[in-house]
Amino acid sequence: MAKSVIIKIKRQADPKASSHWEEFELPYKPGMNVISCLMDIAADPVTRDGKKTTPITYDSNCLEEVCGSCAMLINGRARMACSALVDQLEQPIKLEPFSKFPVVRDLATDRSVIFENLKAVKAWVPIDGTYDLGSGPRMTAEEQEAAYPLSRCISCCCCMEVCPQFNQDTGFVGAATISQVRLFNTHPTGAALKRERLAALMGDGGIQECGYAQNCVEICPKDIPLTKSISEVGGAVMKQAIGDLFRK
Amino acid sequence: MAATANSAPMSVKTGVAPLRAGQGYSFLLRRLHSLTGIIPVGAFLFEHILISNAAAIGGPTAYARQVRFLASLPLVPLLELFGIWIPILFHALYGFYIWYRGETNVGDYPWTGNWMYTAQRWTGIVAFAYILWHTWTMRFTGIDLHEYAGASFGKVQAELMSPALLGFYAVGLISASWHFAYGIWLFAAKWGLTTGEAARQRFLKVCLAFFLVMSGVGVASLYTMRARFPQQPTDAAGAQVVEEAKPGASQ
Repeated sequence: MAKSVIIKIKRQADPKASSHWEEFELPYKPGMNVISCLMDIAADPVTRDGKKTTPITYDSNCLEEVCGSCAMLINGRARMACSALVDQLEQPIKLEPFSKFPVVRDLATDRSVIFENLKAVKAWVPIDGTYDLGSGPRMTAEEQEAAYPLSRCISCCCCMEVCPQFNQDTGFVGAATISQVRLFNTHPTGAALKRERLAALMGDGGIQECGYAQNCVEICPKDIPLTKSISEVGGAVMKQAIGDLFRK
Repeated sequence: MAATANSAPMSVKTGVAPLRAGQGYSFLLRRLHSLTGIIPVGAFLFEHILISNAAAIGGPTAYARQVRFLASLPLVPLLELFGIWIPILFHALYGFYIWYRGETNVGDYPWTGNWMYTAQRWTGIVAFAYILWHTWTMRFTGIDLHEYAGASFGKVQAELMSPALLGFYAVGLISASWHFAYGIWLFAAKWGLTTGEAARQRFLKVCLAFFLVMSGVGVASLYTMRARFPQQPTDAAGAQVVEEAKPGASQ
């Protein structure tokens, strides 16, 4: 008997529609991952009980866990679909869109909030000008080694999805953005905006909303030391807040 | 990511709001909540269990003298109001607000840190319920212990004779000790005192040891009152006798 893969998918036609489950059965192929399953469904969109349906909508791009697009709930946990190998998943494989982001359709969610957050903390190195600024200061090997893991962030939003403090009541900024503040504040040229970034994190929804449940660091597909970032930035924010009491 | 291409209006309508840089006072309130947990609320708990209650292990007279010393501090009503009542009320009520806004998800993500996050909320509410009852019966009703310090031992003993109240004391003590010990760890992590993973792991051991010491001393003082001494007087005349006895003399 040929092996098969059973997948249950939570579907939703548009942002306002209600959701429903559809079940699919696919012929097993060696090395399958969740994205390749979704591709197989798209090639022949028929449910397990033989009804014709539409292909599943989902975000994906790189298929090698560096673009951050294909994050979804797989068997109830936030993770990247491209690196979720069928051989390692319990069946039936349950796919759901992220629960804390507006659904666009099926498994595609609107995660633009992280982009707004990154803009709010100016998560960039300010080098635009009217003339050539020349080369920047050198970073020591030690600084590079500390910064590199932080630069691996793919904005997938897994850390936000699993955070008990990230919800509509708190409007918490989330671990990823706080970690990017650390990355750009430790960059010798990026540090020009250090004070502004730390001040932004004192606003409502800022770093204070962190409850230190540490789910972010557990779930991060890129193994970013997010709790270390939160502690480092938390200390820097406190230092600036207390300093400003005397300086400003 | 979907919908970022045609940016503004479509994005972030129903989801979680982006960071409100420069807006609101939640940073001040949240950090004040964190600070009050250490000073003065935690510092008071430290004194209450590791100094005053520990004195009870030395017997009724030693306990009476400790209570007499506290009652003789200058401006006791102001110390109580600004050092204890207002900070505890703020810490508790703002804590409930924080709890209300969080979404516990240990079912989906049953990791240690996440359990501790949830436990911090439950130990908080148990400790607060205990503190409300404890201050009501010990400070605001019955014989005034500031005036009759000698009745302190007996007044607590009378409550501990009931198995249900003994249990309530033990649960309240352990909840408050845990909430404080783990709260110190959280404070160090959030205020950037222990930023590295190894440092946090080391400090967690220190905080766990502190929890064991604190709840151990607390349980020892409960045991002393319940099992090692007969019921001590709880009236004004008896209080005088207890307070003036030689420390260590059996009553």
